[in-house]
Amino acid sequence: MEPVTQACPLDQELNPGPFSPQADALTTEHTGRMEVFQALQRLHMTIFSQCFSPCGKFLAAGNNYGQIAIFSLSAALSSEAKEESKKPIVTFQAHDGPVYSMVSTDRHLFSAGDGEVKAWLWAEILKKGCKELWCRQPPYRTSLEVPEINALLLVPKENSLILAGGDCQLHTMDLETGTFTRALRGHTDYIHCLALRDRNPEVLSGGEDGTVRLWDLRMAKEVQTIEVYKHEECSRPHNGRWIGCLATDSDWMVCGGGPALTLWHLRSSTPTTIFPMWAPQKHVTFYQDLILSAGQGPCVNQWQLSGELKAQVPGSSPGLLSLSLNQQPAAPECKVLTAAGNSCRVDVFTNLGYRAFSLSF
Amino acid sequence: MAPKQGPLDEVIRKRLLIDGNDAGDDRRINLLVKSFIKWCNSGSQEEGYSQYQRMLSTLSQCEFSMGKTLLIYDMNLREMENYEKIYKEIECSIAGAHEKIAECKKQILQAKRIQKNHEEYGVLAKVIQHHPDRHETLKKLDAMGKELEHLSHIKESVEYKLELRQKQFHVLLSTIHELQQILENDKKLSELEEAQETSMDTDPKP
Repeated sequence: MEPVTQACPLDQELNPGPFSPQADALTTEHTGRMEVFQALQRLHMTIFSQCFSPCGKFLAAGNNYGQIAIFSLSAALSSEAKEESKKPIVTFQAHDGPVYSMVSTDRHLFSAGDGEVKAWLWAEILKKGCKELWCRQPPYRTSLEVPEINALLLVPKENSLILAGGDCQLHTMDLETGTFTRALRGHTDYIHCLALRDRNPEVLSGGEDGTVRLWDLRMAKEVQTIEVYKHEECSRPHNGRWIGCLATDSDWMVCGGGPALTLWHLRSSTPTTIFPMWAPQKHVTFYQDLILSAGQGPCVNQWQLSGELKAQVPGSSPGLLSLSLNQQPAAPECKVLTAAGNSCRVDVFTNLGYRAFSLSF
Repeated sequence: MAPKQGPLDEVIRKRLLIDGNDAGDDRRINLLVKSFIKWCNSGSQEEGYSQYQRMLSTLSQCEFSMGKTLLIYDMNLREMENYEKIYKEIECSIAGAHEKIAECKKQILQAKRIQKNHEEYGVLAKVIQHHPDRHETLKKLDAMGKELEHLSHIKESVEYKLELRQKQFHVLLSTIHELQQILENDKKLSELEEAQETSMDTDPKP
């Protein structure tokens, strides 16, 4: 955003007085340019990640410019919501590059971008004080590497955070001490997504190399590898073999991306149901007795485990990159599904059947 | 004008309270007072009596309307009580409905869980159906095992026969060789004897 330095043709003096018409013309031109710039920014914005606050009343969204915006859900859902309630209450520049992933604990918000992970205090953010608590970089193999961190995962049992991304490794960071304890290697290409299996303390990771690997955290090694593209039923070679999204329900796992969205039974490592969706899916999650997925295309798809498409609800973005369910027990009135992707808007679904409204950057 | 508004308002308020419906009660009472004064000032007996009758009728009209108003007032009080009762009942039923809603929500969650288990079962059942039946496979395995046993028996017997023949041929061959040796030995012996005889013949007694 360049300052207005070129001389206005009406300007005779170098320093116009505060109430002179030349100064007014400059300021209106300046604000006009600002508005055009902001409109252009919003047009090209992509929201990569979303996260709910621990109290359940606020939503944080991170975009490709590195900004994080905090929206007040309770204000937007209340009966006297106006247009301004659908705008962020605070927006701050979190990273220099895009904010690819965010997770939240009881008091902190962790955001990850190009090579670094930063922590913020929710209490500070809500008071509009936007200073990060700390910024750390996992140990990369060479100091020249700045790989992006595509996925963050919290492991509450051992109070640690797992980061995975461009350097094909899973790094574990202990939240109390802040040190990086393990680096799990095995993937041959960058990692897209992570999921936590509750019953056995295992982490699943899916990556560009087309494999879903299961890692045991206690033994710190790879337990199982599922090469999704090798199974004929779900592989789609014209889309590639990349695994874009993962979700697990202890015994079952859903994964999708290049290959078709498939439900796997983990114990026997067999693909059980193929969901007939031609568009690659970028985010999938289990919810009650359904599987929700979103990807290319504006709709949030609701599937039954048997493979039937129960509903397809359109959102306002041309493509969706993330879905988020607010299941915080502290705010049952804000129990919504939010979807965001290739636009500056976050769609809010109060009832899974239709889009209630959209929050916008 | 301002200082007069206060008492003016009071007067208007009082008059509205007395007879807001304009049912004519206020007018009737004023008329009664006026007719009483007229009756006091009446001259003849006839006029006085008729005035007296008229006053009595006005009085009874006033009493009638008063009775009516009291009844209406009673009715209103009882309606209020009725409404209070209905209000409380509705509050109770709203609370009951809230509880039922919460109960039903729990039941829905339970039903959804059951549905999910049902579907998971269905999905696994489909996968299992693809694999062949266990009994069939066991039977096939048994049959193959028996065949294997049978074939191995045959192999054993064939091998035994082979060995036996080998041994017999060996015996035969060794006997042949021995016989050959014996024959050769015999031939040599007879040759030697012949040689000895010829040498004895050529060599006479000294």
